[in-house]
Formats: sequence, C-alpha cells, structure tokens
Amino acid sequence: MLEKPGSADLLATAREVVLNELLPALPPEKAFQARMVAAAIALALREAKADASVLPAIDLAVLAREIRAGAHDPGTPRHDEVLAFLRAYARLRASVSAPKALG
Amino acid sequence: MTEEQGARLRDWLAAATGDPGLRIAGMEKLSGGAIQQNWALDVESGGATQRWVLRTDSAAVLAVSLPRTAEYSLLCAAWAAGVTVPEPLFLCEDASVIGAPFFVMRRVAGTAQGHRVVKDATLGGGREKLAQTLGRELGKIHRIRPPRDDLGFLGDPPADAARAMIAAMRARLDAAGTPRPVLEWGLRAAERKAPPPVPPVLTHNDFRAGNLMLDASGITAVLDWEFAAWGDPAADLGWLCAKCWRFGNVAQEAGGLGPRAALYAGYAAESGVHVEDARVRWWELLAHIRWAVIAADQAQRHISGEERSLELALTGHIVPELEWDILAMSEAA
Repeated sequence: MLEKPGSADLLATAREVVLNELLPALPPEKAFQARMVAAAIALALREAKADASVLPAIDLAVLAREIRAGAHDPGTPRHDEVLAFLRAYARLRASVSAPKALG
Repeated sequence: MTEEQGARLRDWLAAATGDPGLRIAGMEKLSGGAIQQNWALDVESGGATQRWVLRTDSAAVLAVSLPRTAEYSLLCAAWAAGVTVPEPLFLCEDASVIGAPFFVMRRVAGTAQGHRVVKDATLGGGREKLAQTLGRELGKIHRIRPPRDDLGFLGDPPADAARAMIAAMRARLDAAGTPRPVLEWGLRAAERKAPPPVPPVLTHNDFRAGNLMLDASGITAVLDWEFAAWGDPAADLGWLCAKCWRFGNVAQEAGGLGPRAALYAGYAAESGVHVEDARVRWWELLAHIRWAVIAADQAQRHISGEERSLELALTGHIVPELEWDILAMSEAA
C-alpha cells in the first residue's frame, strides 16, 4: 500500500551516507557526532525488528517490588521462573541497545 | 568571561600572589558544561610564565552543583597526602570577581581520554607499572580518614558503606520511577552478600580511565573529585576494575589499563593493607548498578526535555548491556 522503499531501507541507506560520505568530509571534532547519528539509526533499525511479544506479559513494577522484598530469592518457588524471564527480558533489551554485549 | 571580569581576575590574582605586576597573557576555555567551566590561564609573574587552570561553576546551576570550595578542599587534602593531583594554588570564594567562586591549580600535561589511554600501551610507563601506580595512588587517597574538620562538608561517614550504597541506589530508582527489575535483582543479590563494614576512608568514587591524566612515564593527575565521599576503600578498586569501565579493553582488568594483580600489589605496597578480592568483586557488581542508574538518569534529562541531546539519549542505551552483565554477576556473587 505504501510506496517502497520503506523505513528500514531508507534508514540503512541514510546510515551509509553518514558513514561513507559525510564522516570522511567532516572536521575531526565533528566525527563523534556523525558516529552518534549512525549509531542512533542502527539502534532504531534494530528496535523496529525486535519482537517484545516473545516475552510473557508481566507487570514490571510489581516484579521489581517483589524482587526487592526478597520474594524471588534462591530457594523460593518462582526463583527459576523469574530468573528465566529476566534473562529473556535482558536479552531482548540488549539485542536492541547493545547486540555486541550478547557475544 | 567579560573584559571587566578578566580585569577583576587579574587584580585578584595580583593580590593573591603578592605580585602587583602580574599579567594574564592568555586565557582559553578548555571545557565547559552545564555545571563547570575550566579555563587555561597563562600568567606572567615575576619574569616567568605560569601555566594554570581556573575551575569555576556555570552561574546558572550554582545551587545544585558541588561547590568549588569543597572540591578545592579535597584537592588540598589529596595534595597533602601525596596523591598525584594538580597543585592547588588559590581559592576565591567571592562570587563578585568573575560571577562565581573559583579556584586555580597548576596546569598538568598528559592525556585523559578513556578510549585513547586504554589503547596506548606505552602510556603510564607500561601496563604493569601503570596498574601498580594506580594501586599506589588509591592507597594514598585512602590514607585520608575521618574525622577531618577541613572536609566537614562530606558529612558523617556511613556506618555501613555497602548497605548505604544499596539504599542510595534504591532511592534513586524510586525517584526515577521506571521499574528496573534487573537492577533490583542485582541489588537484592548484593544485599544478600554484602560484606561487613570496614573503617571508612576517603573514596574518590570516579577513579577510572577518563579521569586519570597520563603521560609516557606515569600518572600526571587524578582528576574530578566531585563524587568523593567517606566509604569502603574497596569501592574505588571495584569501580576501577568493573568491566564497564575498561573501555573495551576487557583483558586488562584494572580499568582497561593494566593487570589486576599489579593493581592489588601496588595498593598493598602503599597502604600495607592486603586487598580482599571478594570485597572488590562485590563492589564491581555495585559499580555496574551505579553506572546503570546514572546512565538512566542522564537519558531522562533528554527525555524530559531538560537537556535535549543525542549523547544523553544514547547514554540511556548503555543500560541494557549493563543489565546483561549484572544478571551474570548476580549469579556468580
């Protein structure tokens, strides 16, 4: 329905222009800003692909309070389940913000 | 700085040095943020050129920033303890001279940028020697102990620095209002394993690449004392060793700058205190949590519109990587 190319293609192409054409032509003191622009575009592209529906619907505020109160300490009934959720939650978040951290 | 302020500064420095003929030959802003400003001063006095740095507050935020007077007192205490800091020279508490209180210290040469110093293995006299020197510097800082009338602004030392840090992090999370279950998980794991308190010492609290000026032979200055507080000495070792402060050079566990064993050896040689590795590792977990809390707060300044900035916005995206490491460290703790 919408015209092609779409947002993913446009953003990826824009990022290449920033890195390959603008960055080499910029004065050195502006290189950091150009790299930040490229990083922001890459992040937005990853966020568009991320699928939060793989995680169970959990009220994070309630979970945070329970963890602080010790309700999910080792040896409690839901410890393993909560840890598995936190791993999946942290993995999803890192896959968008810092995929290299996942190795 | 206006022309009138520059003239008043000259007069003030002439009086402070006792040299009526003192001349400001050069003045250049080195860095300036919302909170502080640093100016390079070249001053001709008594037939010689003095290279100084003037550090002051940006007038707009005086009410919330740590006063320069406090930072000057810390610098004097560190200098007297033999820590490698720029020599503190003069403090002016009179805001009418240049618009805000300021202090002057001797200008020190070297490189501080985190990403650069971890890449250049020749800096600091080589990895092994540099890590030992870092340990020695921390050993000297930690010799400063309460009570100290000149550091009264630091308040009373916490009875238990580890538990006080956990409470402080929870309070900041509550104030920010965003639920962060992974950080809570890390804090709860830390709470279960909190080390018993030790006698408090002065902790720098931001001792890492980026705040350490280096040249080919060693450390030329330990900078940025604005987070200093009474605390557990292992907190400084843990902050330095935390993976998140190695600037990508993770194999060099002492801040990306050298081996952990050399750091511990330098610390023990200077302080006579054996480093408890488990206590340092506990503080490394807290270092990740503290940095995550700070990074989230910085991003919030962008999100709220207080200071729109791509750099602040991207800083928030450091949090998930820290969370990933915090989960792993919590299991190991």
